[in-house]
Amino acid sequence: MKSTTDFHSKRDLPQKHILGTGTPMCPGCGGLAALHEIYDIMGEKTVFVNAAGCMTLLSVYPFTPFRGAWLYTAMASAPAGAQGVRDALDILKVKGAIKEEDDLEVIVLTGDGSAYGMGISATSGAIDRDLDFIYLCYDNEGYGNTGHQYSAATPHGVKTATSKGSRGYPGFKKDLFSIWAAHKPAYVATIIAAEPLDLAQKIAKASSLSGPRLLLALAPCPTGWSFDPSLSIEIGKKAVQTGVWPLKEYVDGKVVHTKIPKKRLPVEEYLKLQGRYDHLFHPHRDTKTLQEIQDRIDAYWHKVTYS
Amino acid sequence: MYRIRFHGRGGQGVKTASRILGRAFFNQGYAVQDAPRYGAERRGAPIFAYVRASRTPIYERGIIQRPDCVVVVDDTLMPVPAAAILQGCEKRTLVLLVSDLPAEQWIQRLHIQGNLICLPKAGEGRESPFLWGMACVGAVARLLGVLSREVLSDALRQELVTLDKAAAEQSSNTALDSFDEMKATQIQIKESSVAAAATYPPPHWVDMAMEQGPHTAPAIYAAATSEKLATGLWRTQRPVIDHTICNRCWWLCSTFCPEGAIHVDSKGFPQIDYAHCKGCLVCVGQCPTHAIQALAEQEASRLSGEER
Repeated sequence: MKSTTDFHSKRDLPQKHILGTGTPMCPGCGGLAALHEIYDIMGEKTVFVNAAGCMTLLSVYPFTPFRGAWLYTAMASAPAGAQGVRDALDILKVKGAIKEEDDLEVIVLTGDGSAYGMGISATSGAIDRDLDFIYLCYDNEGYGNTGHQYSAATPHGVKTATSKGSRGYPGFKKDLFSIWAAHKPAYVATIIAAEPLDLAQKIAKASSLSGPRLLLALAPCPTGWSFDPSLSIEIGKKAVQTGVWPLKEYVDGKVVHTKIPKKRLPVEEYLKLQGRYDHLFHPHRDTKTLQEIQDRIDAYWHKVTYS
Repeated sequence: MYRIRFHGRGGQGVKTASRILGRAFFNQGYAVQDAPRYGAERRGAPIFAYVRASRTPIYERGIIQRPDCVVVVDDTLMPVPAAAILQGCEKRTLVLLVSDLPAEQWIQRLHIQGNLICLPKAGEGRESPFLWGMACVGAVARLLGVLSREVLSDALRQELVTLDKAAAEQSSNTALDSFDEMKATQIQIKESSVAAAATYPPPHWVDMAMEQGPHTAPAIYAAATSEKLATGLWRTQRPVIDHTICNRCWWLCSTFCPEGAIHVDSKGFPQIDYAHCKGCLVCVGQCPTHAIQALAEQEASRLSGEER
């Protein structure tokens, strides 16, 4: 098992990549980028419990990019599936059928449709039961696998397949990090593939702990967000630099921001790279909505700085 | 009944093209089916779409096995087995292909018995791959001989309504221009009869004996079997590393590659696994020394002396 002290600089990042290539994910998938960085650190002694979503296409018999077991569950019930796998492993250990060192880490893998919506009740229950598992959500802010309809993770003002009007999606992105943290689990963190060192440190910390550990990865989605696949990492970096995606963790009852942008870029730098925000710039500049989005980010960071 | 099969890559407007053609038939009073095939609907991956149109109700279902016309929006798909472009093609099948090579060359290379028409990729109104799909739908509409320019124009307007005005107009013009371009040709897509269950020739079945479950669907414990899938075929642009400029930081391109298709060799140089690189070009944008360049796939394979 890795410890946090293994990752001081980018030179310490894994040199070998163990997630198999040949997956059916879109070119430039921000979720796959995060998953392969995470898998390099978690290693092969893992069982993935996958809620329906883009990433259930990873393992279509007889093909899989994983090196260990994988279980497919319905959208709302991945944490329940994880409970079953954890219990089975524990029973095998008690019976002496597997040795302590052959134990596996149980990881739930879900998209935001499941994590923010359908699956949140099962997740809440699993945290209540203090289930020893890792929960990884790749958040591409919509139902990506079915054509990008809005989900509870969709941010204000974006265009989706079900919010095509000139003002985009009228709702607001749910604060899932705070909902999870309010359960007081062992660990909660936000991560992104574009910040691999921060990601590596958090994954190492999560795997050194036990109990419910929840990870939320923003996953820039070329198909759903409408941008050129080559910009996938660039957009991820901009999400951090503009303060749209705060990198933080909850551990020992405290929330700590792990990477506070010294000088935050205007949010437009992030928005204008994505086709889903195009209507805020063309044919007319929607100054009101742009200001509204900026104000909300400013208010967030004001609270971080002064409380 | 007309049976038209579209082939292309995700992002080339294949699905939209089939919808426009279906709509045009419908406006002309035909019974119509148009559907894309569910599968890897990913940018760059092979995409299929099917249009059936008939003056009488259509009882046929499923994918088109014996097309009257095959539309190929991107000629780089021709050698890709997964795209199965010539499957079920007969002498009467017309092949419409977006390609800069002359038609004779394709006919000779593929031993095509019937007609083949090439629409050049380069040319006015064909700047983006999405417009290739539009060029195809215009050409097919004309080659059918039963759809008027006005009917096509209405269908374009109805189906492109979600695009912004400038893009819709550009797409529409591309389609109508290639409609006009086809007026010079005598070739026509011919309707084929409605298949009846009694006379429908079955496909070439391979008889297989019933076997036990563990035989036909064995448990597989091997790791990373997805590597058997050559997703490199999705690529239209190829990243090429110039190792004289690479400063061997080793972690950047290899960490950011979403596929994990870049590994670092024993000397610290990154190497790209072209069998699996999908050509997203994240590495090109992220390399701090600009040591990675993007080349058009065909050009790159010509330079490296490969046959694809």
